[in-house]
Amino acid sequence: MLLEIRDLHVAYSGIHALQGLSLHVDEGEIVTIIGANGAGKSTLLNSISGIVRPYQGEISYRGKTLTDKAHRVVAQGIVQVPEGRQVFANLTVEENLLLGAYLRTGKASVQASLEEAYELFPRLKERKTQYAGSLSGGEQQMLVIGRGLMAQPKLMLLDEPSLGLAPILVNLIFKIIQTINKNGMTILLVEQNAHKALAVGTRAYVLETGKIIREGSGEALLKDPVVQEAYLGTKRETKKRKEADSATWAL
Amino acid sequence: MNMVLQQIINGISIGAVYALISVGYSLVYSILKFSNFAHGGVMMLGSYFGLLGLQYLGLPFPLAMALAIVGSGLLAVLNERVAYRPIRNRNSPLLYLLISSLGVSIFFENFTIVTIGPNFRTYPPVLPTDSLMFGGLSVGRLDIIIFVMAAVTLSLLTWLVYGTKIGNAIRATSYNMRVSRLMGINPDMIVALVFFLAGASAGLGGVLFGIKYTVWPQMGILTLKAFIAAVVGGLGSLPGAVVGALLLGTAETFAAAFVSSAFRDLFSFALMILIILVRPAGLFGKITEEKA
Repeated sequence: MLLEIRDLHVAYSGIHALQGLSLHVDEGEIVTIIGANGAGKSTLLNSISGIVRPYQGEISYRGKTLTDKAHRVVAQGIVQVPEGRQVFANLTVEENLLLGAYLRTGKASVQASLEEAYELFPRLKERKTQYAGSLSGGEQQMLVIGRGLMAQPKLMLLDEPSLGLAPILVNLIFKIIQTINKNGMTILLVEQNAHKALAVGTRAYVLETGKIIREGSGEALLKDPVVQEAYLGTKRETKKRKEADSATWAL
Repeated sequence: MNMVLQQIINGISIGAVYALISVGYSLVYSILKFSNFAHGGVMMLGSYFGLLGLQYLGLPFPLAMALAIVGSGLLAVLNERVAYRPIRNRNSPLLYLLISSLGVSIFFENFTIVTIGPNFRTYPPVLPTDSLMFGGLSVGRLDIIIFVMAAVTLSLLTWLVYGTKIGNAIRATSYNMRVSRLMGINPDMIVALVFFLAGASAGLGGVLFGIKYTVWPQMGILTLKAFIAAVVGGLGSLPGAVVGALLLGTAETFAAAFVSSAFRDLFSFALMILIILVRPAGLFGKITEEKA
């Protein structure tokens, strides 16, 4: 087991964002977590990354308790690709990518990774001297993924990579996620786009108001009536979903 | 015409020293988004460190200067550690940092008065003070040396911030501290480094001020001009701080030469107010929502 989370509780500014969440990720998997806005998806990734501090529960990585210092988490091989395309807008595309490799030493191997990133995203190579802030949304998403890859992580945490992207770009991004995974990287993917996420995931969890309410293989969850109703929009939005939504907004 | 050229040269020379100090205001602002008014105290103590090295330890000038630079750099790091980090860790409003820095500034001043004494001191003649003639222009050798030292330091600083890996990390942290942590950057380390750089340049500025003028516990007030320069250039922008300082230095010498030296400070502050009214972000700055 690469990553194991047991009974995780997180609260901040009065919000009980995670309420006893447990999950695990095995080496080589793409594990997806689907859930509505405010279900606690980003909080989960931020607790793994050491950005928010859980008040109860344990996160262990390769059998050992994971450090709660954000910069040490990266050194351990866990990298988060944050949502909302959080590039360093005041730096160039290439400087952004190189920052991904901040903890790596060895110029030659970093340079090789840079070439790999450009191969994966030729658009970034065309724009390498531009400020990241001048890129389109899709290009910024490519940049944050490329930046994450530059760290050569063992486990990549992807936060809503499809958010706000045109369908054609969403397909591209998911294809790239699969490629990265085939090359040996374990991925924990958090998504609102349940259809896509369940289709690429080896296993999946459904997160609702801070708790896991379902888990299983991606295929099984795609067929699960509760999941279909609430997240896949197979039927009309039900009352339950609306309640869940308004509950999260109330928080 | 000669008079004008002469004033430009004087202005650039004093502006270069302002620049050494205003980059410190800007660097700290760019990372922590507040104006660190303890910076003047660090500059003042840097000046005393240099004096200590020269007069009491008998060090040769380059070593005394190194002592001032490293000493004030470390002092700035300590200042952050003790007076700002606890506030940062509590995620308190930026205003608290500003208030804390005012407190530290008063502390430095009074600490110096109590321990070293309130009187004015002068540097021994370590640098030549005669003038060189270029055509009809007389330029103080001291001014040239000061300008060269400041220019070299500022170039090094610019290279460090814009041309190195650690500089990338500084700029990334200044843009978004939270995301920088996801890169494996330790923001506390970056903040300490920035305070060291700011303090070290202020220390050099303090030595140069000390040589050109005198050393006294309230000399931190001189950095108000450097602060104005940083605001005029755009707080948080390194090139802005340098350009603002050179502009201010020149404007000031012109005001003193062609109007009256009594009007010099009036002119500087009027310039700052004008910039804040017309272009609040300064010449090189970006508009931000909150400034403290």
